[in-house]
Amino acid sequence: MVRSDVGILARRLAVVPVALLALGATAACGSKQVSRIDPNSVTDLSGRWNDTDSRLVANALIEQSLTGPWLNRYMQSHAGEAPTVIVGTFRNRSMEHIPVTPFIRDLEAAYVNSGAVQVVASADERGEVRAEREDQQENASAETRARIRQETGASYMLQGDITSIEDEENREKVIYYQIDATLVDLESNAKVWIGQHRIKKYIERPRFGS
Amino acid sequence: MYRTTTILGAIALLAACSSKKVNEQPIMENGDRVPSTEVTVAVAQEQVNRDRAIAEQRQGELMADALATCSGAICEAVTRGEVVIGMTTPQVLAATRTTEDAWSIRQSGNATVLAPATRLAAPSDAVGELALVQLRDGRVMTYGYRESQGMRLVSNPSEATTAGVARSRADALIREGDDYAARGDLDAALDRYDRASVLSMDDPMLEYRIATVLDKALRPIEAQLRYRMFLHRMELERIDAVGQAYANIAAAMVHARERIIVLERQGR
Repeated sequence: MVRSDVGILARRLAVVPVALLALGATAACGSKQVSRIDPNSVTDLSGRWNDTDSRLVANALIEQSLTGPWLNRYMQSHAGEAPTVIVGTFRNRSMEHIPVTPFIRDLEAAYVNSGAVQVVASADERGEVRAEREDQQENASAETRARIRQETGASYMLQGDITSIEDEENREKVIYYQIDATLVDLESNAKVWIGQHRIKKYIERPRFGS
Repeated sequence: MYRTTTILGAIALLAACSSKKVNEQPIMENGDRVPSTEVTVAVAQEQVNRDRAIAEQRQGELMADALATCSGAICEAVTRGEVVIGMTTPQVLAATRTTEDAWSIRQSGNATVLAPATRLAAPSDAVGELALVQLRDGRVMTYGYRESQGMRLVSNPSEATTAGVARSRADALIREGDDYAARGDLDAALDRYDRASVLSMDDPMLEYRIATVLDKALRPIEAQLRYRMFLHRMELERIDAVGQAYANIAAAMVHARERIIVLERQGR
């Protein structure tokens, strides 16, 4: 009697590793689903800063800066000449990791493509260009050599920061982001344009699960 | 009855203490589309191209007008992009590469004053940012630059030369230094005088000012050296001959000699 019970238990225990193995095999063979989707689509998964926020910020700053009076004022004072802007520091003062490069690049692209603003290489970017120009002085033929000391000096510097405020209770969370961008006159320190965009997110987690 | 009141009271208290939930309608949800900026950029591009074409056409007209009516030094100044005495309004606009939009132009009788339309993007010529241009009978009589030492006015051609500009800037620095000296900030005064001495190297009175400030700042060795330099520059024989006109300078020389004697005695 006892021997038959032990046998049943042993048979049942033997099933467990087989079942686990089968599960593992299923998981390994189950194909991952990847789809290409519209980059303009809104896809909020975690509620943290994502591409949609970056696009919204870029859109707001492009709209505000290209329609701001500073541009018209500069062009009127310089017979239609476009102002030159250099990108300075964009500080992330939030608790989250927020890549600022995408919306700065969007803004630069809008400036250059509209022809309204001339953008010069930032402090980080120009080192490589200067090194190449130096190299050309030694190695390039005279007629193709880039001339030195012909850089365009910027009239304004684009600076900004991102701040966030979080509020959370139980399953609910609110995140508020404020993005401030400023164009500062390099000679006078006057702030000729201030752009601002605010995003407020309400995140409600499910009662069960993550 | 009492129980009902208690229950209602407890419910009211709970409701008062619990946080208020605000049900805001989402403005953007999963699956929505972020609007493109292509339209904004295209509108800006169109506007900028239109404005630029108008401004460039006007600038071209002004340049043609300026060069057609100029001669000699004024033509050269227009080409260099520099305002000079004797220019007409179109020549000033051509030299500054601007149009009327950049200026606030006021006329009174035969006088015209051109001031920047906005300080945030003030027009400038090859020398610096212009603060005002004054014309009389249609010709530039005076013009001023906004510089770090303050406004620098040019009302005759000699003030526009390199030496004239240096003299004018040195004067501004000396004024600033005098102001600091009067307020008792001797370090700042010395700093301004030092900078002025680079621009105006043959000014004995500047040397005297530096010596006095060093003396007051209890730096006797340097003060003594500066007093000596002052005396050396003055060339005593010539001063004696000039008389009353140099009375103030002579008094300064007497003071410098006295101080040298005192400082030498203290040094022993």
